Amino acid sequence: MNCGEGIDTRQIDELYINLDPIQAGGRLTTDAMKAVLAYGDGYSVCDHCTKPFRLDHIAKPPLAEFHTDLASFLNMDIARLVPGARRGFQAVADTLVKPDDPVLLTAYSHYTEFMAVEQARGTPFEIPANDSHIITPDAAAERIEEVIRTTGKTPALLFVEQVDYQYGNQHPVTDIIQVAHQYDIPVLCNGAYTVGIMEVDGKKLGADFLVGSGHKSMAAPAPSGVLATTSEWADKVFRTTGIKGDLTGRTFGVKEVEMMGCTLMGVTSVGMMASFPHVKSRVREFDSQVRHVNRIVDALLTIEGTKVLSEYPRKHTLTRMNTTESFDLVAKTHKKRGFFLTSALRERGIVGILAGSTRVWKFNSYGVTEEQAGYVADSFVEIAQQEELPCLIH
Amino acid sequence: MSKRAVDAVFQGLFLLTDIRGVLRDTVPHHTLSPEQKDEARKTIGKLEKQITILKEELLA
Repeated sequence: MNCGEGIDTRQIDELYINLDPIQAGGRLTTDAMKAVLAYGDGYSVCDHCTKPFRLDHIAKPPLAEFHTDLASFLNMDIARLVPGARRGFQAVADTLVKPDDPVLLTAYSHYTEFMAVEQARGTPFEIPANDSHIITPDAAAERIEEVIRTTGKTPALLFVEQVDYQYGNQHPVTDIIQVAHQYDIPVLCNGAYTVGIMEVDGKKLGADFLVGSGHKSMAAPAPSGVLATTSEWADKVFRTTGIKGDLTGRTFGVKEVEMMGCTLMGVTSVGMMASFPHVKSRVREFDSQVRHVNRIVDALLTIEGTKVLSEYPRKHTLTRMNTTESFDLVAKTHKKRGFFLTSALRERGIVGILAGSTRVWKFNSYGVTEEQAGYVADSFVEIAQQEELPCLIH
Repeated sequence: MSKRAVDAVFQGLFLLTDIRGVLRDTVPHHTLSPEQKDEARKTIGKLEKQITILKEELLA
């Protein structure tokens, strides 16, 4: 079935349990899907845009209220919608980083954090992870000292991920921020895998900037996200335009430079807003999601040779596994080679793991019900047993 | 202008979306609990009403 010429109707989430690492938290709520139907047209939120002509002032649909609610939800002073977390990184880096300024990132920073630094012409320095794949405050302090010593400059900004995309590990962000603040380094906390998934309190973390991803963790259409900050930094990152046309003398009101004026002008903002009441509620139920992922990981660990590379017991649903000594042994002789695992999962109605993966792979069980978690857990063990891999009693 | 027909289209789409939500919630087997069946039955009934409205407004 097509939804346009040559465009297949996507039915993944209607047909399968989807464990895709980046898709789980962005799956739309039914209210967001309804908003998509009603606000698909380009500038559809602009019907009632009146002075001062800016997205965060629009009262109908209630975007002004949504902006205030978002800031309050994150316990930050002010928030703006951005077209993806990456645009939040970009806005902050562009504001704070001058050419050749050192900028700290971590061994698990997303590529777009690096690109934000590159665009601002800063120089990146990574804070290494320890053997447990955790970024520690001590490592941050050591790297800060080293950067100051070698460059003669204090880093202009530090990026830190609350939960990283590689292991889904939770890092001690509060402590890392405290270290950075001892050197007067502002910190951007990347909450792409936390904001909208679990409770995040920006002030408690001590973050100067908190960035979330709508399409990754807030049940919103892409590209969407949020950049929140404190009143200390708001005037800088959300500074308004001062430019003037030399011939026409035109000026551009209260448009914010880093936001390029208005940001999410249709389906993205309204979809995000429609999901928001559900998101506010679901973050309080994150513990049950953690129980579900641990049930799946526990089942996987009954398969001899299987290892969990993420911190364990799991504190987040995004998880990295190593099945080199289990499923990959099967792949060596199986007629479907490395594709046997994802193929066997698909036959059972489970998708989202990178096709062909039998060594190191990730999954994200966010959003599954208890029953579905049990089904996924049993399916992994069943596949292992079918391939005669030794399993402990599950 | 038929506001009634337009409302019926959106109402119908929203009801179908609710059914889509049930399909998503119950993957991969789509085995509905008694409560979900009850809810789906009501939704389908409401959807039929919207189709009736559309027939009245557009085809009469």
